[in-house]
Amino acid sequence: MKAPKWNKQMLVAPYIYISPYFILFFIFSLYPILYSIYISLTDWNGSGEKVFIGFDNYMQLFSDNDFWLSLWNSALIFLMYVPLMLFVGLILASILNSNWMVGKGFFRMALFVPNFVSVVAVSFVFILLLNTQDGLINSVLRNIGLIDNPIPWLESPWWARLSVAMMVLYRWLGYNMLLLLTGLQNISKDLYEAAYVDGATKIKSFFYITIPLVKKMLLFCTVLSTIGTFSLFTEPYILTQGGPLNSTLTPVLMLYRESFQNFNFGYASSIAVCFFVLMMVISLVQMRIFDEKE
Amino acid sequence: MEKTVKLQAAGHGGGKNIWSSSLAFALMAIVSLFTLFPLFWLFSSSLKDISEIFVNPPIWVPSVLHWENFRELFVERKFGIITWNSFLLSTTSTLISLIFCSLAGFAFAKYKFKGKQFLFVLVLASLMIPHEATMVPLFSIYKNLHLIDNIWGVILPDLANAFGIFFMRQYCMSLPDEMMEAARIDGCSEFKTFRRIILPNLRSGFAGLGIILFVKQWNNFLWPSVILRSQENLTLSVALKALEDSNNTPYHLIMAGSVISVVPLLIIVLIFQKQLIAGMIDGAIKG
Repeated sequence: MKAPKWNKQMLVAPYIYISPYFILFFIFSLYPILYSIYISLTDWNGSGEKVFIGFDNYMQLFSDNDFWLSLWNSALIFLMYVPLMLFVGLILASILNSNWMVGKGFFRMALFVPNFVSVVAVSFVFILLLNTQDGLINSVLRNIGLIDNPIPWLESPWWARLSVAMMVLYRWLGYNMLLLLTGLQNISKDLYEAAYVDGATKIKSFFYITIPLVKKMLLFCTVLSTIGTFSLFTEPYILTQGGPLNSTLTPVLMLYRESFQNFNFGYASSIAVCFFVLMMVISLVQMRIFDEKE
Repeated sequence: MEKTVKLQAAGHGGGKNIWSSSLAFALMAIVSLFTLFPLFWLFSSSLKDISEIFVNPPIWVPSVLHWENFRELFVERKFGIITWNSFLLSTTSTLISLIFCSLAGFAFAKYKFKGKQFLFVLVLASLMIPHEATMVPLFSIYKNLHLIDNIWGVILPDLANAFGIFFMRQYCMSLPDEMMEAARIDGCSEFKTFRRIILPNLRSGFAGLGIILFVKQWNNFLWPSVILRSQENLTLSVALKALEDSNNTPYHLIMAGSVISVVPLLIIVLIFQKQLIAGMIDGAIKG
């Protein structure tokens, strides 16, 4: 008697279990992204009537220097920290992977701490450290006689980009190191022993064994960093407000400005749609890498 | 015999070379200094008077500890209720997400149903929609739903968590099918099976995902700063930014507020560090 009842339940249960997710997904993700595409074809300030203007917003966006600059800035910031982060991260991971290292637990946590501390808090600390007049770094550099004139960390375009890049490095070095460490832990120690018997130095082993074997993981970290860098918002928003001269303007910061500061909702939506397409392309690349891995 | 000893040393990364190990240790120490120093500066500055923030020579540790920075935040800037908001928001959002994610993850791991393949691909694809790209329409939807300046407006979009479904699905797949079958034969209903048999076995998954979601929500900034307006509805991250005044930024108060935002998380993370690190790595690699 009971068996049919179970079967019926078993048929219905999974749909009930997944329904909260799909209901929320349709309301808060799918519908808004489709709506976003529609708004991007209109001229709208958020409260008045939407005026349909076709692809005008996109025409304007593609001839807007700020938009290209925001992508260019992201690319520059990426180049400033990602190679350094992966290289240092890999060296640190190798050190943590060796048996003789002491204080592993402490160092692992010390490197990882910046990743979960509030970005807003960290950004304000960096303002205190990098302030041109009497920020800590300039004071120390001047007191020990390394520089005569203060470095305009947040006030000249190239220094500002570098400062943002250093802050991103600060936040993500430990995280990437942990990912690389998991990659390293999968390498058999026998390989290093064989290399040692053949007379390879430790540096040679690093370049000929370690790097090739964690190549996939390095690639994976690079893709994650690409997504992260192109969606940067809080760091430049608090450190530099996108300045000076828009040198730290990022796509999301530009989207925020156009929407919630200038109320050009139509124009902002065209940025949002382009940003969505960019992220989708990067995610597809990521999935391909991931598939090859398996 | 000697050969074996040498090989062992090589396996340990050549630990016999005292110089290279010292160098490695020094490098590690320098990088740790780079990551920990800003936190030291944060704590030190939170106890300074505003006049001690930008001075040369720098004040490493203030001679008089200005605890009144914290008092001012709690008494005059409503940081008591703001901290409570952050806590309430992060906890509520995490707990509900855990329930939804484990239900959906369980369904995708252990049931056969029509359209499963397609629906799972849809979950996968939903990861590609960045939250930032939905802000403008969501804002106008919120106006109609009266979710502006409401912490539920922050919580709701984050409950649909595709990453969490993946995460819990992995854990559910590792549970043996016999567990469910035994429960069914004993006459448990499907939901009772989930609640009594499956949930207790997902504890480590809950810990890992829970801590990730909590940290993420605690530090959430962009969307809350768009929709939260009145001082008594703010979260800590938003309130910190709101302290910034165009002419005269009270950096001492911002630092004290940052300490309030950092310390609870630091404690929680130190307790759950294993789960957090394991969860983050699993999440990044499998998701």
